[in-house]
Amino acid sequence: MSVIDTLTGEFARLPGVGPKTALRLVHHLMKGKKDDTRRLARAMVELADRVRSCDVCGNFSEDALCEICSNPRRDQGILCVVEEAYEVGAIERTGQFRGLFHVLGGRLSPLDGIGPDELHMDSLLARIRDVEGRVREVIVATNSSVEGEATAVYLEQEIRPLGPTVTRLARGIPVGSDLEYVDGTTIAQALAGRREM
Amino acid sequence: MRLSGLAIRHFRNLGSQELELPSEGVALIGDNAQGKSNFLEAIYYLETLRSFRGARDQELISFEEGVFRVAGTMQPTDASVRSEVVAAAFERRGKRKKVTVDGAEPVRMGDALGHLAAVVFSPADIDLVSGGPSERRRFIDIVLSLNQPGYMSALQGYRKVLVRRNASLKTGQPGAVVQAWDKGLVTAGAVVMGARRDWVQGRGGAFGDYYRRVSNGEGARMAYRPNVSLEGATSGEDICAAFQEALSASSERERRMGTTVVGPHRDDILLRLEDADDELDLRTYGSGGQRRTAALALRLVEAQTIRDTRSQRPLILLDDVFAELDEGRSERVLELMEAEETGQVVLTAPKEADVRLRRDSLPRWRIESGKIST
Ligand SMILES: [Zn+2]
Repeated sequence: MSVIDTLTGEFARLPGVGPKTALRLVHHLMKGKKDDTRRLARAMVELADRVRSCDVCGNFSEDALCEICSNPRRDQGILCVVEEAYEVGAIERTGQFRGLFHVLGGRLSPLDGIGPDELHMDSLLARIRDVEGRVREVIVATNSSVEGEATAVYLEQEIRPLGPTVTRLARGIPVGSDLEYVDGTTIAQALAGRREM
Repeated sequence: MRLSGLAIRHFRNLGSQELELPSEGVALIGDNAQGKSNFLEAIYYLETLRSFRGARDQELISFEEGVFRVAGTMQPTDASVRSEVVAAAFERRGKRKKVTVDGAEPVRMGDALGHLAAVVFSPADIDLVSGGPSERRRFIDIVLSLNQPGYMSALQGYRKVLVRRNASLKTGQPGAVVQAWDKGLVTAGAVVMGARRDWVQGRGGAFGDYYRRVSNGEGARMAYRPNVSLEGATSGEDICAAFQEALSASSERERRMGTTVVGPHRDDILLRLEDADDELDLRTYGSGGQRRTAALALRLVEAQTIRDTRSQRPLILLDDVFAELDEGRSERVLELMEAEETGQVVLTAPKEADVRLRRDSLPRWRIESGKIST
């Protein structure tokens, strides 16, 4: 298989990229400056080699602890629980949240065989237990899809006996949409209007 | 609103035809298996975006063709209002359905439903009475989805949560994981139950009335039989509480069965004969004629619902319904329809003589091997 075919095939495996777009991307790279292409390739290699999950919260990180977990000025008393690591960025961009995060790595999805054991739920409960009483509030920012709602109900059942108040983002975020695709103002409003479950 | 034009392409054996429909309607005459029901199926597809005979979309595409398309032009009674074109197409290869209203794809598929305001009467309707509870649930679900805002999304939400909750039960997840679905199930389920109850209660009188008039004096009743007892529950919150209580009470049983055992997915509508002092279930005790009469009465109530909620005269599609009815009942059904201010009527019959109606004024079309001659 030629280099061009190989790269086209790799691009086509990316989400939202079909064979035609893949070929167009390859043509674009061939026509452009070689240095640009090398820089792109290096960035991808670094992504693979250096970016990992934060040991504590599961956010993207280049070290054992992510920038948020290692920042002493963040409020250790509030945890915001999201489904996926890329949703951390969406909430960070609002600039309205000063607490810490916890990434579940998905949501309860029995049709795909995903229960609590397949998600980072035990580590969340352990985080709350370990600092005994320091976590005042857990904001459950799972999606408003049926699965996200059930995940929120489950978390609330598990967390409340441990002490913290459990809140849910206010309505206004369209049903089933990833936070990543919701505009910052809407997220900020949902955050400000959060309510106890 | 009336259906003034119909363009069909590669639908069943109908091939490609463009037809202008007379304002009063039409009687389509043809031997069996020539495509009479296919014609009504094509028209009603524009109402529910699926086959009323339960066929899958692929099966509706003509042999060796890749796409079917049906487009209907709706002409408002008020001539100053612009006509509307609803079109639906299905592609075999991509299994893709495309629906447009005046050329634009609606945001949600549900927005394209119910534009025709039509009701189909078919010989298979007897299953509404003779068949199991799922037949009657499907009936009320279609009526309410088309006529009550919010019902369809509640029903879809309910089904979505139900399959996930059942999957949790089936794989033996701990109780807390199963219960995580309760809130979603109860919230959506209560909307479904409340709407079903209100509709059956509100239309029960009309059902009895239609039944009496078609049968010439005999009485019948319809009653909602929810799987979760709603006794004493009036508000939506009451219904939620009743449902949640029933769920909690059945947790052991559902764990054993591996599936959710209570809820509106097990509802029924009882259709009963009013005897002197007894009430007899039509499903078990009704004669053929009594069951057909009850099925007709259900369809008439459906037409009444359209008339009341959409302020439109419903388009009546009659698929060879009089073949199985005795003369007296047929006459009385037709009288009723005329008295009830229905809109257009499109009926099919095997022989000219079967259009023994007062609808002598109805223009006659013929169909042979799918080809309609006007
Ligand atoms: Zn972290």
